[in-house]
Amino acid sequence: MAKSVETLEKSIKDVPKAKKPESKKNWFSWGLLAPVLFFFILMSVLPTIWMFGLAFYDYTLTSANKPKLIGFRNFFDFLANQQLAGSVSRTFVFLLCAVVIQTFLGILIGVLFWKNDKMPGRRLALTLFFTPMVVTPIATSLFWKFILDPTLGVMNYLVSVLGFERFDTLTDQTLAFPTLVFVDTWMWTPFMTLMTLAALGSVPKAELEAAQVDRLPLTRLITTVIWPHAKFILGLGILLRTIDAFKTMDLAYVMTGGGPGDRTELIAVSLYRFAFKSFKLGYSSAVSVFLMFIAIALTAIYLYILNARKKAEQ
Amino acid sequence: MYDIRLENVTKKFGDFTAVDDITFTIPKSSVTVLLGPSGCGKTTLMRMVAGLETPTSGKVFFGEHEVTNVPTKRRNIGMVFQYPVIYRGTSVRKNLELPLLSEKLSKAELDKRIDEVAEILDLTSVLKRQVEELDNGTRQKIAVGREVARQPRIILFDEPITNIDLTSKLELKRSMKELFGRLQQTIVYVTHDQTEAMTLADQIALMQDGVITQSDSPKEIYEKPNSQFAGWFLGNPGMNFVPPEFIKVSGSKITSPLFTQTIDLGSKASSVDTFGVRAEGISVTSSQAKDGVQARVTRKSIGAGGQYLLDLAVGSLLIKARVSHSIGRDAKDSVWTNIASENITFFDKAGKAL
Repeated sequence: MAKSVETLEKSIKDVPKAKKPESKKNWFSWGLLAPVLFFFILMSVLPTIWMFGLAFYDYTLTSANKPKLIGFRNFFDFLANQQLAGSVSRTFVFLLCAVVIQTFLGILIGVLFWKNDKMPGRRLALTLFFTPMVVTPIATSLFWKFILDPTLGVMNYLVSVLGFERFDTLTDQTLAFPTLVFVDTWMWTPFMTLMTLAALGSVPKAELEAAQVDRLPLTRLITTVIWPHAKFILGLGILLRTIDAFKTMDLAYVMTGGGPGDRTELIAVSLYRFAFKSFKLGYSSAVSVFLMFIAIALTAIYLYILNARKKAEQ
Repeated sequence: MYDIRLENVTKKFGDFTAVDDITFTIPKSSVTVLLGPSGCGKTTLMRMVAGLETPTSGKVFFGEHEVTNVPTKRRNIGMVFQYPVIYRGTSVRKNLELPLLSEKLSKAELDKRIDEVAEILDLTSVLKRQVEELDNGTRQKIAVGREVARQPRIILFDEPITNIDLTSKLELKRSMKELFGRLQQTIVYVTHDQTEAMTLADQIALMQDGVITQSDSPKEIYEKPNSQFAGWFLGNPGMNFVPPEFIKVSGSKITSPLFTQTIDLGSKASSVDTFGVRAEGISVTSSQAKDGVQARVTRKSIGAGGQYLLDLAVGSLLIKARVSHSIGRDAKDSVWTNIASENITFFDKAGKAL
């Protein structure tokens, strides 16, 4: 008996599989991928490898000396650099403020849009609301700089009309940093709104309707219906925003140039200065490698949290 | 308990009229099945009862109360969806309990209701499990239990067993049959499956193109369809229709080579266009019968209960006959067939029964 079962199982296993023209199919898919792969390797992989290599050289474009292999010296140098440590921690404060505020506002506005899906003019409102996100950050930075300009800007004009004294937020010791967070929020809250809408859209309609039928209170609706579906997309949004905020450069560079003093000197601004003002390519590569590892670490933490939740659910 | 009254209810989606001026009463404390093909408006009609859609025009009443614009939350209804809805991150017991929380019951009453429902639906063994661990069939049982345990006055079922596997389907159908027997609620059940409708319904409301074409008990609607559509849609296979060339009308008398006798239809005879007969209304014999015609057996298949389904060709006419096991087994290429008058329904040109 057992034997016959065995042979049966074997015969099932031995059924010849329908052969696909594997090689042909592979060539075709690789062919379709080729253009993207080519640019990805050319623009992303090679420069990254190049950067890794440069990090171990003393290589300054303005110096007549040939590039010299110096091992980990670049890394030791910047780890000892107090100023740079300041920029790193400032970047984290910036990132934390920006992401928390944007997530909060984004969810709030997203829920409002979601709740009022029959509001007249909703589409137009959404389109207008998403504009800041699609404008080039440099342009955004420039026009906010104009708006806030102490002599020519609209804001100070209004301030003076109201009878107050004009002031320059961007050179003010205490106001410069919050202003930067404010403009970043203006620019990126729509992104979190978009993610919120996508997350809410991922909740099956029947579950929301069932919750109405079953008269679930709002807290229950959120914890047992919305959150289990929405958390992944929302989590992804926060992750993307965190990584992006970490790399913020144009905003600070254009609006304040890192000033006043080093009040708004974010790490990406310092990096830009090393690479393209002082042309210290080796040193700035080392900083970049360091930043890349921080970004990878952030991503890993998020993915770990998301996966842990997913596993707990299964 | 309430009955549900619909008065001139219409629902349009853009140019499409899903429900077309329906006036209908769903009787209280009974099971009404809205039956019809996809897109006939049955789900839309139910969603208007639930308050998940607002009628374009017309009114909905629960008993004496108009509820047309009352939000779902305040209608005190239960509803089971096609897609098994569970409340995630909680246990099965908690799922059954959640809607009951707003009822402010005593702990003892709460437990009693949950245990009762769990027992009928065979959920007792999984009460402590997390809902995410369970398959769709069990999830749907939870959804059914959740709505029943709350004891609302009206419970709506929107094709609840369409999306689950076959075994669970049969199980759930059986449990629901049992539940419906015990419940005093007004139950509305939407389905496109006529077997399901026949099993569960006290009355069937048959829908086509946004209108209720016939509403009656399953037996009545099966035996006396008021239209060709009803005859065709109910029954498996649907009713056979015999075209005019096989019918001879002279005055009030109607004859056909298939008939065992002449039928007198009085004044209605002049409007006869076709007649219909159920597969089991056709008699088949192997040897030549007194009345009747010879037919060729084109296909033979055995069905549930050992009965045979024969595809017969009488000249150019193709009909399906359901016959007993012995007749089916012995049927060779050629058989004799006729139809008794009580099994015949006449239809006019528009497909309406006479």
